[in-house]
Amino acid sequence: MAAATAGGLRQPSVLPGFGLTLGITLTYLSLIVLVPLAALVASAAGLGWDGFWKSVLQPRVLAAFQISLATALVAALVNAVFGLVVAWVLVRYDFPGKKLVDAIVDLPFALPTAVAGIALTGLYAPNGWVGGMLASLGIKVAFTPIGITIALIFIGLPFVVRMVEPVLQDFEAEQEEAAGMLGAGRLATFVRVILPAILPALLTGFAMAFARALGEYGSVIFIAGNLPMVSEIVPLLIVIRLEQYDYGGAAAVATMMLGVSFALLLVINLLQQWVRSRHGS
Amino acid sequence: MALDAFFGPAAAPARPVRSEPRLVRGVLIGTALAFLAIFLVLPLAVVFAQAFAGGVQAWLDSLVEPDALAAIRLTLMAAAIAVPLNLVFGVAAAWCIARFEFRGKSLLTTLIDLPFSVSPVIAGLIYVLLFGLNGWLGPWLRDHDIQIVFALPGIVLATIFVTFPFVARELIPLMQEQGAEEEEAAIMLGASGWQTFRRVTLPKIRWGLLYGVLLCNARAMGEFGAVSVVSGHIRGETNTMPLHVEILYNEYNMVAAFAVASLLALLALVTLVVKSLLEWRYAGELAASRRH
Amino acid sequence: MNIDIQAITKRFGAYTALNSVDLRIGSGELVALLGPSGSGKTTLLRIIAGLETPDGGTVLFGGEDALQRHPRDRQVGFVFQHYALFRHMTVFDNVAFGLQVRPRSQRPAKSVIADRVNELLRLVQLDKLATRYPSQLSGGQRQRVALARALAIEPRVLLLDEPFGALDAKVRKELRRWLRHLHDAMGITSVFVTHDQEEALELADRVVVMSQGRIEQVGTPTEVYRQPATAFVYDFLGDANRIECRVEGGQVRLASQGQPLGGVSGQAGPAVVYVRPHDIELQPAGDDQATGTVRRVYEVGPLVRAEVDYAGTLLEVAVPADDRMPFRAGDRVRVVLRRGLVFPADRPDRPEPMALVPFRGGASGPVVQRL
Repeated sequence: MAAATAGGLRQPSVLPGFGLTLGITLTYLSLIVLVPLAALVASAAGLGWDGFWKSVLQPRVLAAFQISLATALVAALVNAVFGLVVAWVLVRYDFPGKKLVDAIVDLPFALPTAVAGIALTGLYAPNGWVGGMLASLGIKVAFTPIGITIALIFIGLPFVVRMVEPVLQDFEAEQEEAAGMLGAGRLATFVRVILPAILPALLTGFAMAFARALGEYGSVIFIAGNLPMVSEIVPLLIVIRLEQYDYGGAAAVATMMLGVSFALLLVINLLQQWVRSRHGS
Repeated sequence: MALDAFFGPAAAPARPVRSEPRLVRGVLIGTALAFLAIFLVLPLAVVFAQAFAGGVQAWLDSLVEPDALAAIRLTLMAAAIAVPLNLVFGVAAAWCIARFEFRGKSLLTTLIDLPFSVSPVIAGLIYVLLFGLNGWLGPWLRDHDIQIVFALPGIVLATIFVTFPFVARELIPLMQEQGAEEEEAAIMLGASGWQTFRRVTLPKIRWGLLYGVLLCNARAMGEFGAVSVVSGHIRGETNTMPLHVEILYNEYNMVAAFAVASLLALLALVTLVVKSLLEWRYAGELAASRRH
Repeated sequence: MNIDIQAITKRFGAYTALNSVDLRIGSGELVALLGPSGSGKTTLLRIIAGLETPDGGTVLFGGEDALQRHPRDRQVGFVFQHYALFRHMTVFDNVAFGLQVRPRSQRPAKSVIADRVNELLRLVQLDKLATRYPSQLSGGQRQRVALARALAIEPRVLLLDEPFGALDAKVRKELRRWLRHLHDAMGITSVFVTHDQEEALELADRVVVMSQGRIEQVGTPTEVYRQPATAFVYDFLGDANRIECRVEGGQVRLASQGQPLGGVSGQAGPAVVYVRPHDIELQPAGDDQATGTVRRVYEVGPLVRAEVDYAGTLLEVAVPADDRMPFRAGDRVRVVLRRGLVFPADRPDRPEPMALVPFRGGASGPVVQRL
């Protein structure tokens, strides 16, 4: 019988189609994702150990990493705080237009990044609606790291909200009521009862926003100004190297960045395991 | 009175244990709305304001101009190839992951999500390294007169990469939640594998499938970074809509840039509307994380 | 169609769900697989159906190897615990499904299918709800749709996994009686899984009591209840008091204080007496005669229950509520075990239970309170 084959690799089932679907999945995954990514790492490895580090440890590259990491971190932190507020308001309170607000939170997922990029630039440029106001206060946003941060806040915004929302929704009313009956005020209840329960989800959302921000390109390059050492992000540097036909250099920086992304992915996976183990589902 | 509730709890009727004073609620709602207005609504408003800054005629002219039409055509074509391929893949992946227990399953699930954690620029770069002139297969491709990078195939590949997980990611948790009992029942009643899929599984997952395809399509049509790296930016030939926006913008042709951008923004809005409708109407038939 | 299960073993990783199980089910029988969760009863049912593949052993349907057949060809009707109704199909389409998916050459004509489905829906008293969807039905109605759907393919064997598990008590009782009638009318060999001893005893021709992947006992409801083969069966089939004791020279004595409990014929050694609450008699006694103290008396529906401290063991005693319980908490009483089973403690697997013969008359004084 067909279901009994596959020699211990899987538990038998009466449902058919395992071989076919797994075959499609593995083939497609290998062709589209795994082999090309391997080619990237191989290209970087082609530089040799010294060549790789020489290519990565240049002041301009290090500065780009510093800018990318710093702006992504600040943007993710802003999103963690305001994302929590938005999630809280959407779950706990009723107000007119709530459904609309809930729907628009996902705008950054749906809006093409290039559109976001030129819109934010238009808004924050010295002659833009907001940029003009800020300029009169002496704050320059567009074409500085602040501008990059603003673009990254935009694209990372839904992550925290969408991670925290369901956890907040499932949070047992009884626990809060118990805290209240035991004499805790609202702030104490939030800090000591609710926050610990949603912390794993909050951290996961934060890490996802951070990871996404690190790799972001389209929405940033318009507003960043792209001055080397000042407002040049890593993905842009990869593009520049590529345009100079420095394939090895591009691959080296990209591999470095891939390493950072995978480390973040690992953190996110561990966080999600933590979420699951805490909520027992 | 709000102030009473805040300052004089003894005089005011007791507030439920699970709510905050009205003032606190107001401040929180205000903060959330202000934040969303500044970061989401204003940029969206700018797009449309700028797009129509020169009037409806100018807007229309920017869209029917040959290069813009070519960009629209290319974008549609790339999505029309990438989305169905990812659909087939997503269904196959969900079937084997959600319906069977096998070794290496969690690794496979992680690998499927991988493209989401790769920078779009890297997504483009990997295909240039493979298929570009100086790439691994470059010389062989040139000898056989096959063009992948700086042509439609490269754009499609980059698009597939960045939209790779969408359908699978929606279907896997959905099918895991639904369980295999109905499929088992169908088999016990004598249905074949294909009959079981078409008559039992497919109707159960159709809204989840549509949801995944919707998000996949939005990203496919809007992708910028990955496509930008492999496209070569040849006007009227390898320029997708987002890339066309960039070119116009860099030429300081603001009205045209924002006109094309407004079309993409419209696509995003339609996506959001359909997505919200699905969430409200068919909440029970989407993965649990999508219901709210 | 008789079913012959021989040496079936099933492991999930390191866990053994079924350990070399043998069972014969006669044609037309209604058999209950009874046991606590984790006893392997559902796994056994799913193996008969073909939903699980055993690691060893065989299953024969009418003498023919069923494991060689794909479940879709076994002609088994399976009713899932949560019914597994196709949620996007009407009641009618659910029941018709098994006929509609047949290969074209064997598929009945549309009108034949419709007739057959309507007939089945009448049988399960759902003909008025044919156009409803499963989500619009009550639990009991869904259960009957599931049954009609399973019967539509004219199965040779009907398997039901916890058929009443998801229903409330009242509906459950009604459906139980109805299922029994249906079985008597159709005569299909049927096996159902349950963890509810009352359900098994009331419904089945034979009860298979399972524990930890093994069969403890197979027998008619009367047999398993009156002559339990193992302490587990005794314990699982009703309320039971356990009293540590030892067997010595034809007498059973309390392990702690050595008081004689009754006579017994069997080997000497440590043992446990199992007594049902209604097999314990309480007699008024002075301090010199008393062997126990009433701790608490309370009424539960048709029964009055008492908790009695008996040489350090808390016994549960039951009397019908119409007999007035003559004792109150704190009273000293003499405890008499009217009937019980003695299981040797050191051989729990093959216990050869011994009947406890109560001491009567003479020394024990007049019987005041008959229980």
